Amino acid sequence: MQDTETLSALTIEKLNHSVTTSNGELDILKGINLDIKDGESVAIVGASGSGKSTLLGLMAGLDQHTQGTIKLYGEALETLDEEGRAILRGKYVGFIFQSFHLLPSLTALENVMLPNELKGNGKADDRARELLEKVGLSHRITHYPRQLSGGEQQRVAIARAFASAPKILFADEPTGNLDSKNGALVEDLLFDLNREQGTTLVVVTHDPELSQRCDRRIEIYDGELKES
Amino acid sequence: MFAWRLLLREFKTGDVLTLLVALALSVATVTGIGLFVDRLQQSFEVQSANLLGADRSVRRDEPIPQKWIDDAQQAGLETAQTASFSSMVFGGDGLQLAQVTAVADNYPLRGEFLVDETLFGVGKALQEAPKAGKIWLSSRLASLLGVKLGDSVRVGEAPLMVTRFLVRDPGSATSAFSIAPRAIINRSDLASTQVIIPGARVRYAFLYAGDPEVLEQFDSALARKLGEGERIRTPIERGERIGSTVNRAESFLLLAGTLAVVMSGVAMALASARYVKRHLTQFAVMKTMGATPKRLVRLMVFQVSMITLLGIILGSGLGLLIQALIADLLSSLMNSSLPSPSLNKLWLGAATAIISVLAFCAPLLARLVNVPPLRVLQPNAGLQVSSTSLFAFGLVGMYGLMVIYAGGWRLPSIVMIGLAVVTGLVFLVGWGLFAVSRKLSKQSTTGWQLGLAALHRRLVSNLFQLLVFTLIIMLSLVLVGVQSNLIQDWQAQVPENTPNHYLFNVQETQLEGIRGYTQDNQITASDWFPMVRGRVIEINGEAVDVLFPDRRNEPEIVERELNLTWADQIGEGSTLVDGDFNAAGVSIEQEAAIEANVGLGDELTINVGGIDYSLPITSIRTVDWQSMQPNFYLILPHSVLSDYQANYVSSVFLDDTSAAGFYRFMANYPTVSMLNIGELLKQVQDIIAQLANALKIVLTFILGAGALVLIASVRSTLDERLEEGALLRTLGATKKIVRQALLIEFGALGLFAGLIGAAGAELALVGLQHFVFEMEVTFHPLLWVVGPLAGWGIVTIIGVFASRAVLKVPPIRLLRSI
Ligand SMILES: Nc1ncnc2c1ncn2[C@@H]1O[C@H](COP(=O)(O)OP(=O)(O)OP(=O)(O)O)[C@@H](O)[C@H]1O
Ligand SMILES: [Mg+2]
Repeated sequence: MQDTETLSALTIEKLNHSVTTSNGELDILKGINLDIKDGESVAIVGASGSGKSTLLGLMAGLDQHTQGTIKLYGEALETLDEEGRAILRGKYVGFIFQSFHLLPSLTALENVMLPNELKGNGKADDRARELLEKVGLSHRITHYPRQLSGGEQQRVAIARAFASAPKILFADEPTGNLDSKNGALVEDLLFDLNREQGTTLVVVTHDPELSQRCDRRIEIYDGELKES
Repeated sequence: MFAWRLLLREFKTGDVLTLLVALALSVATVTGIGLFVDRLQQSFEVQSANLLGADRSVRRDEPIPQKWIDDAQQAGLETAQTASFSSMVFGGDGLQLAQVTAVADNYPLRGEFLVDETLFGVGKALQEAPKAGKIWLSSRLASLLGVKLGDSVRVGEAPLMVTRFLVRDPGSATSAFSIAPRAIINRSDLASTQVIIPGARVRYAFLYAGDPEVLEQFDSALARKLGEGERIRTPIERGERIGSTVNRAESFLLLAGTLAVVMSGVAMALASARYVKRHLTQFAVMKTMGATPKRLVRLMVFQVSMITLLGIILGSGLGLLIQALIADLLSSLMNSSLPSPSLNKLWLGAATAIISVLAFCAPLLARLVNVPPLRVLQPNAGLQVSSTSLFAFGLVGMYGLMVIYAGGWRLPSIVMIGLAVVTGLVFLVGWGLFAVSRKLSKQSTTGWQLGLAALHRRLVSNLFQLLVFTLIIMLSLVLVGVQSNLIQDWQAQVPENTPNHYLFNVQETQLEGIRGYTQDNQITASDWFPMVRGRVIEINGEAVDVLFPDRRNEPEIVERELNLTWADQIGEGSTLVDGDFNAAGVSIEQEAAIEANVGLGDELTINVGGIDYSLPITSIRTVDWQSMQPNFYLILPHSVLSDYQANYVSSVFLDDTSAAGFYRFMANYPTVSMLNIGELLKQVQDIIAQLANALKIVLTFILGAGALVLIASVRSTLDERLEEGALLRTLGATKKIVRQALLIEFGALGLFAGLIGAAGAELALVGLQHFVFEMEVTFHPLLWVVGPLAGWGIVTIIGVFASRAVLKVPPIRLLRSI
């Protein structure tokens, strides 16, 4: 943490998060402090139910945290409403999910075009074709998600995640639904693009190999951080 | 455009298509009914205008002022004039007093003459007036004079040639007392007859026709110039009874149509619910990509607007097509084409579509826009459903639609309360049936077990489906029942052999002869009623002119001279409502009493033959006007009228074969007037036939909407079923067992719905018979067979069809599906 020259992509200070359930207040995250540098790749690991997904969601501004500050590229998420957070996400954030979440009624190409089209960007088509080429699916661009295997769907999802050239990419167990061969392929793509585009990478994973390849590994234990 | 493309893609998933079809269906139903009734109304007006000879007519004792004619023509109206007078007609064997009408060349403006070239013929339509120098004589007049076609007769001083026999002229149905022997001449011959001398009694008529709007303007201008006792006659007032039938029919059709609309609404809500369920995650994903709530709202609004617009266009087109179809069917039946519909009814369909979307879809779709983006990481986020608010929206929308159609609050409120009661009962009975069948299934084989257990497992959604199916079956059964009842009821209003000719001015001495002829020739005739003319001049001692200063609001009994009669017994078709019929006072018809705001004990002063009689009202009657018996607003004690010489009236039924003979026979009684009202009756019968057809089509629409609801509600459980089916298959269940389970589940659901529906329909029909149609209560054993059978068959077929994917999809696909 010495080289303060590098810009912070994400800073978390004294983050607490709790939800109200029928059994009363449930503290999911407790006293989290974390700083992620621009271009860094970070793995978040921990037991099931420890709070990994919750943390990821809060970092990406998908939900409002209970206490503390989260700054994404200098902008404090707690000061923004849903509209503002959505705009921020559009500006900086890309996502990859365990279960891909492609839109079933759109083709591979259209899925990749989606982030730019939602923003009203004109060059959506060219960029999408380029990215699909990169993930090795240029021959499947007119296929629908249901015609693709899980590994192929995740590659389309990666292309989609990079389509808006995000500065930071969040991935929640991106290889969790894939066999080791496809998992490895997806992993390679992820790190290639990370390097190529200088994207900051935050990955939640159970996969030891994937976490090994990251610059840093952070472990969550029952809602608290333990860096290893 | 991105949003557009996204929408097009969604059509492939059945939900958007269901939504669109449901929307189009309800729009088509409402516009179809609206347009059709509109045409019916118009055609009825046109037909009535035909009988009037014009769109409007004004009669007066003075010649028509030139200014009226100029003004009308300046406003763009067509005008014509006639002049009627009694005159001696000389010819052949002698002379005869006749009612002569001199008509303009362009008369009639609407409708036509009925003329024939043989004496006492039935007549052919002719839309022109006699040329100058010609005369048309009624068969009766011709036979009295002993002249034939080509002979010359003289009216006053003018010699004229007989060229046709007159059967009916357009105005004749309106003037019952001018039907003495008749003759029609051209107006240009009027002067040469030299009968129009000062003091001669001549009735002039001013007729005009044109655009409805222009007419309305001209009417109000002309009304101010009219003198005492003059008024503008419109076609409508002549057939007000038919008019009210059409209005009643419209509310009934629209209310029946509401069912189709509401059912389509339910289908729309189900389709939207499924759409929302399938798209929640997708919207969350779009949010993670930076789509702001505002952006998504715009996207949603655009898509929904497009679907609504498309639904309106398709539905209106379908509605137009359907009403054109009905109209086409009818015009062959009526041998006259219906006027084209006025398109303002299209708004009703558009309003229906918009209200339906707002009530049934919008609240659900709003949920989609509000999905928390966190859902991408936590699959259960954003699924909490508060269905009460959704129900509230749907109910308010439904109620609003019914209020628009019914044009009032009462009926919709009754329907809603009824619906609530039915819902409660169906849930209760359904829950019991499901529980019992689950118990029974414990001992059965697997397919049965699975199917019956499924009923109980998806309890809430199955109860809802049960409710929907029950309602559909019940309403269909009720509609079929009501339709046959209603039509019977309507047709009963104009039974066969309903008198179609009135006989007036029959002297007491002539009664025997005419009665003898009708009996010998098996002609149906009503009783003979003595008739004396009189006028109501005071009510409770106050002059009617003071009581009703505005001529237009005058009640009918003071507006004109009335036909009065006496009777010992209340006649056929009349019912005593209040008082004593045989008391020494006036018996008044109920509607007339209400209109004049009088009741038992009020005193009417009636002028008969120059003498005033003040009598209390001692009884109130209802009268069945459709019976076409001679009917009277006022019936007086015999003691009052016995001093006057009465004419007698009766009505007879003549068909094409008996008419000629009867006309010839009546030539022996030249003073008797005959009024042919067959046209009017035919109109009523046409309308009934048209309504029967329209009702059938509305019924078809309701069933179509019902099928849609069925499909949509089965689809709403499809994802769950697919999962289950695949699970069963992986656990080793054969395709056969899965199919059997489906058959059992839907079969039982349909059977239960049919049973409850039949019970409900029976109750509703009995209630309707007793309270609405006031008929004898009968039971309908057929319902109990048709209901369950149809329920079982239809629900099974559509249910298994809609969930066929469960059978087709191999278990492995489930692992891949998204
Ligand atoms: N909205 C909520 N309401 C109640 N409990 C919640 C809610 N969100 C998260 N939790 C609980 O918080 C804990 C952390 O959840 P989270 O999804 O972050 O775990 P995770 O580390 O991602 O686990 P896994 O590896 O199984 O995905 C879990 O016990 C979860 O049940
Ligand atoms: Mg998780």
